[in-house]
Amino acid sequence: MPGYLGRRLLMTIPILIGVSIVIFITIKIIPGDPVASMLGPTGSPEARAALHARLGLDNPLPVQYFTWLGHTLTGDFGTSITRHDAVAPIVLDALLNTLVLTVAAGALAIVLGLLVGALTGLRRTGIAARLGNAFALFSISVPQYSIGLLLIIYLASNAGLFPVSGMHNPNGDGGFADLVDHLILPAVTAALVPAGIIARMFRSSVLDVMSMDFVEALTARGLSRPRVMRHAFHNTVPSLLTVAGLQVGYLLGGVVFVEAVFAWPGIGLLVYQSITQRDLPVIQAGVLVSAFAFVLINLVVDALHGLVDPRIRT
Amino acid sequence: MTALTEPAPAASLPDAVTAAAPARRRRMTASATVAAAVVLLIVLTALVGPLLAGDPVAGDTAHRLLPAGTPGHLLGTDGQGRDVLARLVDGTRLSLLAGLVPVAFAALVGTGLGVTAGLSGKWGQRLIMRTLDVFYAFPAVLLAVAIAAALGSGLSNAIIALAVILVPPVARVAETETRRLVDLDYMEAARASGATRSAIALRQVLPNVAPPVIVYCTALIGLSIVYAAGLSFLGLGISPPTPEWGLMVSEHTQYIYSAPFLAAIPALAILVASVAFNVLGDGLRDLLDVRGEARA
Repeated sequence: MPGYLGRRLLMTIPILIGVSIVIFITIKIIPGDPVASMLGPTGSPEARAALHARLGLDNPLPVQYFTWLGHTLTGDFGTSITRHDAVAPIVLDALLNTLVLTVAAGALAIVLGLLVGALTGLRRTGIAARLGNAFALFSISVPQYSIGLLLIIYLASNAGLFPVSGMHNPNGDGGFADLVDHLILPAVTAALVPAGIIARMFRSSVLDVMSMDFVEALTARGLSRPRVMRHAFHNTVPSLLTVAGLQVGYLLGGVVFVEAVFAWPGIGLLVYQSITQRDLPVIQAGVLVSAFAFVLINLVVDALHGLVDPRIRT
Repeated sequence: MTALTEPAPAASLPDAVTAAAPARRRRMTASATVAAAVVLLIVLTALVGPLLAGDPVAGDTAHRLLPAGTPGHLLGTDGQGRDVLARLVDGTRLSLLAGLVPVAFAALVGTGLGVTAGLSGKWGQRLIMRTLDVFYAFPAVLLAVAIAAALGSGLSNAIIALAVILVPPVARVAETETRRLVDLDYMEAARASGATRSAIALRQVLPNVAPPVIVYCTALIGLSIVYAAGLSFLGLGISPPTPEWGLMVSEHTQYIYSAPFLAAIPALAILVASVAFNVLGDGLRDLLDVRGEARA
């Protein structure tokens, strides 16, 4: 197992290098001159040229890449063009906010998904199974932005049950209760799609496992239903882990829509706003940091996968 | 452990599986049939609807925000006095295209890459999957938003952005499934009987990899429609005034307090299309599920 983990860890290095190259190139093909937007329409050609030189934008691309990478590796993500502040704290704050939302939504999605998946996989008929299937189906099909808007209108604005947007009440104490209050609607909205996907995959996995010969054999040998189920569940864990890990990873970036609708100050909203403002250092750092977090999550998922399924350690 | 795996060696060849149970051939469930009909209706709407519905772009500001049921405007008019039904029908074409094309691309490329990786040796598999992992290492929607923003708004750029994010997960599903199959007895038998690598890939692996990939991809179509509409919602997809469902949600959101029903119409269209493809996916799963034969 340590060997497997070590290899997996080593493999993330070329991935992260690849990620940094993709981000660098993507930023370079964004149309428009960042210097022009920094100086505004009044900037003289001389001032532009001077700023170009100062930012190192005149250098060849590989030089620019390695300069950027060197700074990034030392935690220097540059200065935000629109906020005139160091990028690193801005991005880390936003990432933390997104992680709060992701963890809440992910936990909700896994619990809901497992419940609905097990229910519909074990009982194929009856009202509960039908409701579960309908939930799994609709939750993966709803556009998050619309559900978010509907929740805001009916539960936040009209009923006044929850705050309309943001992460903390500006006049409040910024305490945990306040955070939870703000968290519920975005977390529910973000959890719907992954909950539905986990439920569907888990249902399919339960159906497959329950149709296998060993379940019949164990039952025939006189094992109690709960013990048979335990064996069956073991066989669903690898696929469940992969799907749940994937979904939590997706949430990390997938909450862009939810963050946009609820004005949740996370990394998705930050990157989206920075794209409209052409704030390149923030976009670069935001996408890089999210990708880094995503790679870490995948690493954990793979480690767990190796733990429960020894066959893949080779 | 062979319990995890399915066909017994005797029934390993795809033809043997289908030939074994001609009497109890699986049928589409009623809900899947309805979903297929809805999908067909959506496709037909996309093909001929725009010819039948009125002008989706011409607006009359004197008749803005008319309620649904107004004579001549079955679903009412939007904030610029444009007929909502005409825009909804016309928008079907682009919304469907933006959902289908990325998935079709991802299904083809992803399966090809996944099966190749699964059948390749250690290094081939690593090369393919680690390269994909670079793209896979980005949170999907964020990457799509970044790519769409980098390429500039527009339908084709939104499609490219979605295709890029959909290939790696499909490849991973295909590769996982292929690797699971490789150790099975019947694969050993195929190799021992002298089948070439490409014959094994096409005749033994692909038929078994296809069902999970198809189920996954059909679920992706719904998702892709929702994502594509989401890019438009954020202003990164189709530009106004061209009608597209996500753009309509975004446009109608301005009137969400005075006319909440208005934003619900295109959202409902996205939901119906998405649900239809997902139910169809379930139906296909039951229909294509080779493993299901053992269960019946």
